[in-house]
Amino acid sequence: MFAIENLRMTFVAPGNVVVNAVDGISLGIGTGKLITLLGPSGCGKTTTLRCLAGLERPESGKIVIADQTVCDTENGLFVPPSDRGIGMVFQSYAIWPHMTVFENVAFPLRVARDRKYSANEIKERVLRSLDMVRMSGYETRPATQLSGGQQQRLAFARGLVREPQILLLDEPLSNLDAKLREQMRVELKQLQTRLGITTVYVTHDQSEALALSDEIAVFNFGKIIQRGTPQEIYRQPKSQFVADFIGSANFIKGRVKDVQVADHTTLVETGHGLFRCIFGQAVTAGQDVLVSARPEDLMLSDKPPGDGFNAFTGKISHRVFLGEVVDYLVDAGDGEVRIRSKPEAEFQIGQVVHIGVSPQKCVALPS
Amino acid sequence: MLARALAIFLRPRNLALMACVLIAGWLVFVPLAALFYTAFTEDTGFGPGPASLSNFVQAYSSWHIVRLFGNSLIFAAGTAVLTLVLGGLVAFVVERTDAPLGPLFHSLALLSFAIPGLLTSMAWIFLLSPNIGWVNALMKEWFGLKEAPFSIYSMGGMIWALSSHYFPLAYLALGPALRVLDVRLEEAALVSGARYWQVMPKITLPLLRPAILSTMLLLFMLGMSSYEVPRLIGRPARIDVFTTEIQAAIQNAPPEFGISSALGMTLLLICVVAVFFYRRATRNAEAFATITGKGYMPTRIKLRKWRWPVAIAIMALFFLALGLPLLTLVWQSFFRNLAQPFIGSTSPATWENYEFILRYPIFLDAVKTSVFLAAMSATLVVVLTFVMAWIALRAAPKSGWVLDSLAFTPIAMPHVIVGAAVLFAYLMLPIPVYNTVWIILIAYVTLYLPYGMRFISSGLTQIHKELEEVAEVSGARMRQIFLRILLPLLAPVLLAAWIYIFVLAVRELGASVFLVGPGTHVLGTISLTMWEEGGSYGAVSALGVIQIIPLIMIVAGLRWLELRVQRRSEAAAAKAQAVG
Repeated sequence: MFAIENLRMTFVAPGNVVVNAVDGISLGIGTGKLITLLGPSGCGKTTTLRCLAGLERPESGKIVIADQTVCDTENGLFVPPSDRGIGMVFQSYAIWPHMTVFENVAFPLRVARDRKYSANEIKERVLRSLDMVRMSGYETRPATQLSGGQQQRLAFARGLVREPQILLLDEPLSNLDAKLREQMRVELKQLQTRLGITTVYVTHDQSEALALSDEIAVFNFGKIIQRGTPQEIYRQPKSQFVADFIGSANFIKGRVKDVQVADHTTLVETGHGLFRCIFGQAVTAGQDVLVSARPEDLMLSDKPPGDGFNAFTGKISHRVFLGEVVDYLVDAGDGEVRIRSKPEAEFQIGQVVHIGVSPQKCVALPS
Repeated sequence: MLARALAIFLRPRNLALMACVLIAGWLVFVPLAALFYTAFTEDTGFGPGPASLSNFVQAYSSWHIVRLFGNSLIFAAGTAVLTLVLGGLVAFVVERTDAPLGPLFHSLALLSFAIPGLLTSMAWIFLLSPNIGWVNALMKEWFGLKEAPFSIYSMGGMIWALSSHYFPLAYLALGPALRVLDVRLEEAALVSGARYWQVMPKITLPLLRPAILSTMLLLFMLGMSSYEVPRLIGRPARIDVFTTEIQAAIQNAPPEFGISSALGMTLLLICVVAVFFYRRATRNAEAFATITGKGYMPTRIKLRKWRWPVAIAIMALFFLALGLPLLTLVWQSFFRNLAQPFIGSTSPATWENYEFILRYPIFLDAVKTSVFLAAMSATLVVVLTFVMAWIALRAAPKSGWVLDSLAFTPIAMPHVIVGAAVLFAYLMLPIPVYNTVWIILIAYVTLYLPYGMRFISSGLTQIHKELEEVAEVSGARMRQIFLRILLPLLAPVLLAAWIYIFVLAVRELGASVFLVGPGTHVLGTISLTMWEEGGSYGAVSALGVIQIIPLIMIVAGLRWLELRVQRRSEAAAAKAQAVG
């Protein structure tokens, strides 16, 4: 497990602008879980990870890794990265080019200070580690003669060889091509579950975050905007930023008419009529809101949808065939909406259509 | 609070930072302070007296100073222009045309570093002196001329002697700019409707302007600081420049330290201004972000049937500028008296010059001293700048500019200035190094700090920071990261820097002339003494050849090593691509 309390760090950007890279972050997760720090570049996710590793010294805050306090600015405590017992994989893989595959993996054992490893033990552990990432047989290969995917596996083997308390991953898949990335994603999740190792994963790729995480923390401007399971983050975004950054969404302007606390829904007056919505963050009657609805949740039909659906009509103005799905742009009078639907039912440009969406898929967000 | 501040101060990396700042600061500022102090105090003949401007009055009140200015500026500017034209020509042919032999020209350009400027100056005298120059003698014989058609003892001769030695430098400086210039920028102009002849002045040259400007400034500064050519060629021709006057004032009896440093102020100022603009130009060069190597496909001008003629013309330039002087020196070294190739000598060819030099005790002494000094200064500079570069780039990037600027300051200090300033400083300070090799060592380390810093910090920026961070995260301590990660990765760079500084130090003259004493000789100063005090032409030439051969072998070895490393990493990359 790990826990971060009230972490703060500022940078002085060119022009003497002080940037709050990390602005009072508190974060933690239980043993064996994988948490993803997700956000656009410059949001503070990597700085948080580097503070966790000890590669950056925070201005204030406390960090606990596996019940050991490694950083506490109040007491002037700072454990250097070498003594934190962590494994880390960098975006560039950082494979040492002057060593063989074997030596790269053996390095953490050779420099270990908590105990001395015998040559046999080193060999056994390195081979086990390489086997884990399916790199057996490459031991004597110079590290420079590996493909990108192999370097990636090697970096994981090196990060795991000490059986660390916590594994830190800094955008480890972003340098791979799309196909390999998807394959590695599956392998990574399998490996992490099998080893039961607490993992912190930094990425700006929302699909990676959704696929891998037990929990996601969405970062922006040095703050955590929202935390939750992938389902919560995707289904119940609490802000326009989260709804927009994870997946894509239509935003429909409206005003709250009525809040029903009992079933956690609200009625919103929009340009397309009255919408029943759920909400993640409390709203009050009369408040201006945005109703977020994902394109794949909007249903197209030539008949009006049944009771209980929010419904409106529009005219197809654009149509893009993507193979497994078809994307439509529908002119609904008060602005255009994007709709993603299965290619079975086809609609033609200019056709007038009925659009329906379940209230559970409409989220009212404070605007 | 105080304890916390002290604890931060006592962190090893901060202590190392302080130590580096102190050492580099001492090396750079103590001599400069001594130079200023000597300049702005009265010269009593027994060291500096009370504050006074009398040195400036004396140094700058005669008409001679106008000539000094004129000569120095014309010499430096002329050298810069001629060098740039010759070097630019080579760079253009090697980088932008499909003429063959490019790698050979690159190697030859690097080899030119090995040749001491003193010896090329001597060689040009053997070639183009009105009295003893064999080219002149040959011309007279062939065309029945009464007068020698060339004279090395002229401003033109001086400019040629220096330019022929430095043009490879201009090629090496301009080459990379021409190489990474994105051809698509030119193609975009052509596609936009520009004619071929419009692309050069409207696109190519403006894009290259920062590179051209910075190279010009660098060459101007080298011309200003040059000592060998003005000493050997300028002095007999009565063409004085600042460097020679600064040194001459010290050799007067009694030595005029005050006047020497007052003249030094001007030279220093000119160089500081040049460096200021140089750094500004190079900084702007980085701002031209369009000139990147990314996705660049080299398209070279196709010379067709002119490929070989152009290559041969460039070869001829190298032969004329570097080969001919070297061969002349070698030829002369086998004869005791003046021996003009194609003309003949009064004595037969012999090995006796070499036998004489190799048994000459002062020569053996000087070899030992020079090699010791070169090895020591190379080692000290490499160690010091390795630590400085690492701190500047990694440990304390915010205060790194202090170390960076400190290490680069000597770039603006010509060798004669460093020589004079170090001399004055240790005459005043109660540190007994005067008249020993140690004072020369101090000067050499100061002189070569910038070169070490350049090499090592650019080498260090090539090494991704994450390679060190992952070692740290893996449990390695500072010492282990240095020994197991940084040192092996940087070894080729450190070795190259060491060899480069070693070679430069062996051929050093401008600072050494101030600092050698009765008991200490270096190769540069004994060659100069032998030349000026009437050693035989043959002995002097043999002395030169004996110096040049090992230097050329060292530089050639370095080049060979570099090419091997390059080829190996290319092969590795290709292999990786194959398995990927």
